Amino acid sequence: MEKRKVWQEGAAKNITFIVTKDCQLVCKYCYLVGKNIKERMPWEVARQAIDYILDDTEQFNERSVVFDFIGGEPFLEIDLIDRICDYIKCQLFARNHPWFDSYRFNFSTNGINYHDEKVQRFIKKNLRHLSIGITIDGTPAKHDLNRIYKSGKGSYNDVAKNIPLWLEQFPGGATKVTISSPDIPYIKESVLHLFALGITEVNINCVFEDVWREGDDTLFEEQLIGLADEIIEKRLYGTHGCSFFAEHIGKPLDRKLQNQNWCGAGMMLAVDAAGYFYPCTRFAQYSLRDKKARIIGNVREGIDPNKLRPFLALDRCTQSTDECIDCEVSSGCAWCQGENYDAACTPTIYQRSTAICRMHKARVRANNYYWNKLYRKLETEGGREGFKKTVVNVIC
Amino acid sequence: MLQYLIILLDDTSVSFCHYRNTNSNRRLIALDGLKAGILFAMKHNLMVQFVYPDYELPESYATVIESIDHHKIKPFSLKEDASVVVYDYREAVSDQTLNRNEKTTLVLRITKDELFSGYEEVIHFLKRSNRLSLVITDTDTFRKEDFDTYKKVLSHLESAIPEALKENDDMPQLNILSDRIQLEKMNNCNAGVENITLAPNGKFYVCPAFYIEDENDSAGNPAEGITISNRQLYTLAYAPVCRKCDAYHCKRCIWLNKKTTLEVNTPSHEQCVTAHLERNASRNLLNELHAKGFFPNKEIREITCLDPFEWKE
Ligand code: SF4
Ligand code: SF4
Ligand code: SF4
Repeated sequence: MEKRKVWQEGAAKNITFIVTKDCQLVCKYCYLVGKNIKERMPWEVARQAIDYILDDTEQFNERSVVFDFIGGEPFLEIDLIDRICDYIKCQLFARNHPWFDSYRFNFSTNGINYHDEKVQRFIKKNLRHLSIGITIDGTPAKHDLNRIYKSGKGSYNDVAKNIPLWLEQFPGGATKVTISSPDIPYIKESVLHLFALGITEVNINCVFEDVWREGDDTLFEEQLIGLADEIIEKRLYGTHGCSFFAEHIGKPLDRKLQNQNWCGAGMMLAVDAAGYFYPCTRFAQYSLRDKKARIIGNVREGIDPNKLRPFLALDRCTQSTDECIDCEVSSGCAWCQGENYDAACTPTIYQRSTAICRMHKARVRANNYYWNKLYRKLETEGGREGFKKTVVNVIC
Repeated sequence: MLQYLIILLDDTSVSFCHYRNTNSNRRLIALDGLKAGILFAMKHNLMVQFVYPDYELPESYATVIESIDHHKIKPFSLKEDASVVVYDYREAVSDQTLNRNEKTTLVLRITKDELFSGYEEVIHFLKRSNRLSLVITDTDTFRKEDFDTYKKVLSHLESAIPEALKENDDMPQLNILSDRIQLEKMNNCNAGVENITLAPNGKFYVCPAFYIEDENDSAGNPAEGITISNRQLYTLAYAPVCRKCDAYHCKRCIWLNKKTTLEVNTPSHEQCVTAHLERNASRNLLNELHAKGFFPNKEIREITCLDPFEWKE
C-alpha cells in the first residue's frame, strides 16, 4: 500500500499552538515533564500570534500552512480552539492571504473526549480542512500499560469507543504509537489489534530517550519478525501500513549527498500560553528535563532570526560522531532535535543522542527479513512487479 | 592545537576584545595560581599573553612573569613595555605621543557610534600606528542602516592606507582591511581550540568573555587540565556556516555566537555581514594596491551576498 502523502509536505509551514499544558492522562512515556493545569493559552496571546504570522508574508512565505493544536490534550480547550480557527479563517479572507483555502488544522488527541458535543460541532464545521490523529497504543493491555488516568486507571475503553466515529469521519485515519522498553512484548499483537480495529496506517516509533535495557533489542527484533510473518501471511501488506517496515532504511548514507538534518525543528514554529515562540514544542520548558527552554522570540517582538540560524544550519554529519557518519545502516536512524538538546552534555542542538542505536539496528534486521520474505513470496506468486513500495517512516 | 595561554592577572584586567569588563573590584591572581599557569604553559609549549589591569603589580609578580617568554597586553594608562596596548576611543584621540616607529600593536575598542562619527580621528590614529586592531564592541546591535554607514566608513579607511603609503615606506596595517589580503586561510580567534584563558580564580575559561560573563562556566584548571565539553564545536570543521566562508580575517567570535544564536558554532547575521563588508573593502583595497604593484599574486574574488548563511550549497 502507498502511504497517504502528508498534506502539502515540504511546502507547508507548521505552526503549533500549545493551547494547554493539561491532560486527563499521565502517560508513563510522556516527554512533557512540566505538564500543569495553570498554563492555558489566553485568547489575546493566540490573536497576537496569528496577527504576527499573517502580517509577515515575507517571512512566512510557504505556499500552505498547517496549524497544529497540541497540549497536553488540545480538545480540553475546544472553545479557545474554535475561536482561534474562526479568527484564522476570517483573517485569511479579510487579508486576501495566500493561505486562504490552503490551510489545514491538525490535531493529535488522546481521543477521550472525541465524542464530546462541542468537539463534534467543531469537527463538522471544519471537516474539509481538518486532520485528526487519535493515539491508541494497541491491545487493551499494551495501551493501559502506559496511557493511564491520574487515578491509575487505564484509558483504553474510553478511547476505543470513539474509534469507529473517528474512522467514519476520517477514513484512512492514521494512529501514532510510541514504544518504550516495557511495551516491547506487546508490539506484534498491538499493531495487529489496531489493524483489526480498522486503522490501516500505524505510525510507530521507539522513544528517543535513553530508556532501553539490556536485551531489549533482541526482544524487539523478535516482535518485529513475528509481526512481519503475520503481515505477510495474512496478506496485509497490500492494504495496511506499519512504519516499522520501510524499504529505504538500514543503508549507509553519503557524507555529502545525504547530509540533511532529520528533524524539522526550526522550519516549524510553536507558540505557548505565555506568547513565547519555539522552533518546535519540544524546546518549550514543559518538554525539557535538564535544559533551559530555547525561546526564539515572542508574539510582541516577533522572531529573532539569529536564534533560528543554528537550526537551519544543522546537517547530519556536524551533529554526529564518526560512528554514526560511517554507520552501515544509518538511513532511517532518526533523532529528535529536542531530545538531542535535552540529553547533550552542553546546551547545544549539535550533539546527536544515540540512545536509540541498538533498537534501530534491531529494526533494520527485522526490516531486511520482512522485505526478503515478502519479495520472495511475491516472486514465487508472480506478483512482485505490480507491488508498490510501502510506507516511509514518520517520526514526529 | 593549543598554542596560546591568556592569563588575566586581575579581575579588572583590560578587555582587548568584544566583551566589556565593568569589574571595578580588584582581585589579583594568587602568586601560586600564576606560577601554576606558567608551568602549564611551559609543559604544553604555549605562548603566554598576560593581560594587565590599570595599576602596577607587586614586584614579586613581575619576577614570576619574566620567567617565561610572553606578550604583555596592557591598558593605555600603563603602556610602557607593552606588546599590545589597548585604547578606548577617547584615549586614542588624546594620545599625541604615538609614532609609527613604535612596533607595538594597538587595539582600539570602539562603539559603532564613535566610529561612524569619528572615523577621521581613527584614520589619524591609524597613520601614527604600525598595526592597528579595530574592535567594534557592539556589532551585535548593527541594523540595516548601520551596515550602510559601515560600508561608507570602510571606504574612507580603505583610502587612508595608500595615502599613508605615500608618506612612509611601509603601510600601516589595519586588521579589518589588511589581514584578509595577506591570509590564505581562516585565521579566527579560535578560543577554546588554539587558546585558553586562565582567570584570577585559578581556573581555565574558553576566553576572558566567558569568565566575565559567568564565573561558573569554567573549563578546567592547570592541575587537572582543560575540560571543555563538546570541544569539537569550537573548531571550524564543526561550524557549518563558517566553514564555507572566505572572510579569513573574521574573528568568528564564539562568545558573540553563543550570545546571539545560543550556539558557539553559529554566527549571527550581524557578525557575518560586518565581516563581509570588511572583506569586500579589503578587495577594493587590494585592487588599488595591485595598481601600485603590490601583492600581484593575491586575489579576492567578487561576491555579492554578505551572509554565508544565505548561500546555497
Ligand atoms: S545511532 Fe547507531 S544505528 Fe544510528 S546511525 Fe548511529 S551508529 Fe548507526
Ligand atoms: S571568543 Fe575570541 S573574539 Fe570572542 S570575545 Fe573571546 S577572545 Fe574575543
Ligand atoms: S563572516 Fe560569518 S561565516 Fe564567515 S567566518 Fe565570520 S562569522 Fe563565520
